[in-house]
Amino acid sequence: MLHLNGLGKRFGEQWILRDLNLQVHEGECVALLGPSGCGKSTALRLIAGLERQDEGSIELDGAPLDSIPAERRRIAMVFQSYALFPHLSVRENLDLGLKIRRVAPAQRQQRIESVLDTVRLREMADRRPQQLSGGQRQRVALARALLRDPRVYLLDEPMSNLDAQLRDDLRPELRQLILQGSQPVVYVTHDQQEAMALANRIAVLKGGRIEQIGTPEELYKTPASRFVASFIGRPQINLLNVDQQLTIGIRPEDVGFDPDGMPCRLISREWQGASQLLLLDSPRGALRMLCAGDAVLSEPLSVSWPAHAEHRFDAGSGRRLAG
Amino acid sequence: MSRRLAPWISLLLVWSLLPMLWQLISSFSTAESLVDGSIPFLQRWTLVHYRELLESDPPFWRYTLNSATVSGLTTLITLALAIPAAYGLARVPQQLRRIVRWMTAAAALFPYVLLFLALLELARRFSLGNNLFALALPYAGLAMPLALLLLTSAFEALPKELEDAARLEGLGLWQRLRWVLVPLLAPASASTAILVFLFAWNEYPIALTWLSRDELLTLPVAMARIAGSSIYSIPYGAYAAATVLGSLPLLLLVLVCQRQIVSGLTNGAIKG
Repeated sequence: MLHLNGLGKRFGEQWILRDLNLQVHEGECVALLGPSGCGKSTALRLIAGLERQDEGSIELDGAPLDSIPAERRRIAMVFQSYALFPHLSVRENLDLGLKIRRVAPAQRQQRIESVLDTVRLREMADRRPQQLSGGQRQRVALARALLRDPRVYLLDEPMSNLDAQLRDDLRPELRQLILQGSQPVVYVTHDQQEAMALANRIAVLKGGRIEQIGTPEELYKTPASRFVASFIGRPQINLLNVDQQLTIGIRPEDVGFDPDGMPCRLISREWQGASQLLLLDSPRGALRMLCAGDAVLSEPLSVSWPAHAEHRFDAGSGRRLAG
Repeated sequence: MSRRLAPWISLLLVWSLLPMLWQLISSFSTAESLVDGSIPFLQRWTLVHYRELLESDPPFWRYTLNSATVSGLTTLITLALAIPAAYGLARVPQQLRRIVRWMTAAAALFPYVLLFLALLELARRFSLGNNLFALALPYAGLAMPLALLLLTSAFEALPKELEDAARLEGLGLWQRLRWVLVPLLAPASASTAILVFLFAWNEYPIALTWLSRDELLTLPVAMARIAGSSIYSIPYGAYAAATVLGSLPLLLLVLVCQRQIVSGLTNGAIKG
C-alpha cells in the first residue's frame, strides 16, 4: 500500500502542493485529476523520488521511502512524452534497465521477447523511437514500465499526446497490462473522462490541495464543491446563482421537458446521435440540457428538473451545502 | 532558393579555397619558377620541397606527430573535465548558472596571449618546459571555457525527462552519463572536440616559449623556423610544402567527423 502523509512541495515561497494525504491500496488505481498547474505532476515526481518534498512523508508497504533515492525505489513511471532513449532501438531501450540491474543475459532476452509480444511490437524491436507512431511509442513506454517489475506504477498523462481514436483503443490495453496487476497505480490526468473510465478512485486537485477524493460515482453524484461539480461530468453541469448565498447545480441529463416547467428559448443544438445537447435561454440563465437524439422539439419549450437532482453550493466558498 | 544562392556559395568557396590551392601549387613548384614566370609549364614542377622536409633532421612527420600528441591529449583532458562540469552547470539554479555562464564567456573571450609570460614562469617554476604532456595542460585550461559553454547548452537542450526516466530505470549518476547523456551528446562533443583540437593544433606563443628541443617542436613553431631559417631568402616552396603536410591530418579529421560537426553546430536549431 502506498501511503502519502501530508505531502507538501514549494518552489520559493509558493506552495505547489500542500497537505496531500492519500492511500493507494494493492491493485487500486487512483487518478489525480485537475487542471494544469494544480500540482498533480509534482505529486508523482515526489513519489518517484525525482524531487524531494518539503514536508510530509511517503510510505510504501509500511516502510518510509523518503531516504531511498529514485534509482532504487523500484517505481515505474510512464511519462507524457514517453521519454524513450532516442539513440537506442526499441529492444535496447527495454534492455538498458535490465542490464544495469544485472539481470542475466538469457533471462533479459526472454523477458524482452515476452513483453514485446504482450505489447505487439515484435516487428518493431530494431527500430528507433523516432520511427514509431505515437501509439507504438506509448506501448514501448508501457513495456519498459512492465519490465521494471515495479512496486508502484506512476502514469503521467500517458495518453494526452494521442488522438481520441487511439486513446479509446489503448485504454483496454492499459487496463489489462497495468491496472489489473497487484501494484498500486497513481494516474495523473486532466481528462475527467479518462479518470472516470480507468480509476477506482479519483482525487480532484485544485491549487495544490485535494478538493475531493472518492469513487467516480461519488464524485458525480455528490460533488463536494462547485469546482468538482463542474470538473466531473460532461456535458458540464449547469450552475445557477439563486441569490447571494446559494448556487445550485443541475446536470444537463437531469433536465427534462415538462409542459408545466420553465419556458425557454432554444439557442443552439448539438446533435450527437444517441443524444443531443440543447443550449437554452431560460429566465434563470443559460441552460445546457441533454435529451434523446430522436426527441422532437416543438417550441415553445418548457423544462424542469426533479428537486432531488439539485446540487446546492454555498455561493461564496463553493462548498456543498447539506441536504 | 538554392539556385539563387549558388553563385554566392561558389564565390565563398573560391575565396576560402584559392589560398589553399595556391599553397598546393607552390609546394610542387621549383624555387625558380616561383619568381620567374617565363619558365615553361612542364619544367616548373618538383618534389624536392617534400623530400627536403621528410629528410631533414628531425624529419617533418615528427612535428606532425608532436602536434597530434599535444592536440589529442588536450582534447581528451578538456572533454573529460568539461562534460561532467557542463552536466553540473546545466543543473544548478538558473541565476547562479547565468553568473557562471557570463564569467565563462569572459574567460573564453580573454586574449590568452596576455597570459603567456605568466605561463612561462609557471613552466620554469615546475620544470614543465620541453614536455609535450605538460604542454597539454595550459592548452586544456585555455580551451575549457569554450568547451564548457558549448557543452552546457547541449546539456540544457536535452529533455530532462530522459534523465528522469533513466533514474527510475535504476541508473546511477555515472551510468546515466555513460549510457544516456554522453551518447546523446555525441554530436555536440564531436564539434567541441574539433574546435579544441584545432586550437591546440594552431597554438603558437605558448608552444614557442615552452618548447626548445628540436625533436619536440609542434607544427606552428617548426614552420616558423622553416620560414625564418635563412636571412637571405624566403623558402616559399618548403614553407608551402610544410603547410600542405601540416593541414592534411586536420583535413582528414574533419572529413571523418563532418556529419557530427554539422549536426552539432546546428544543435537546437532543428528539433528532432
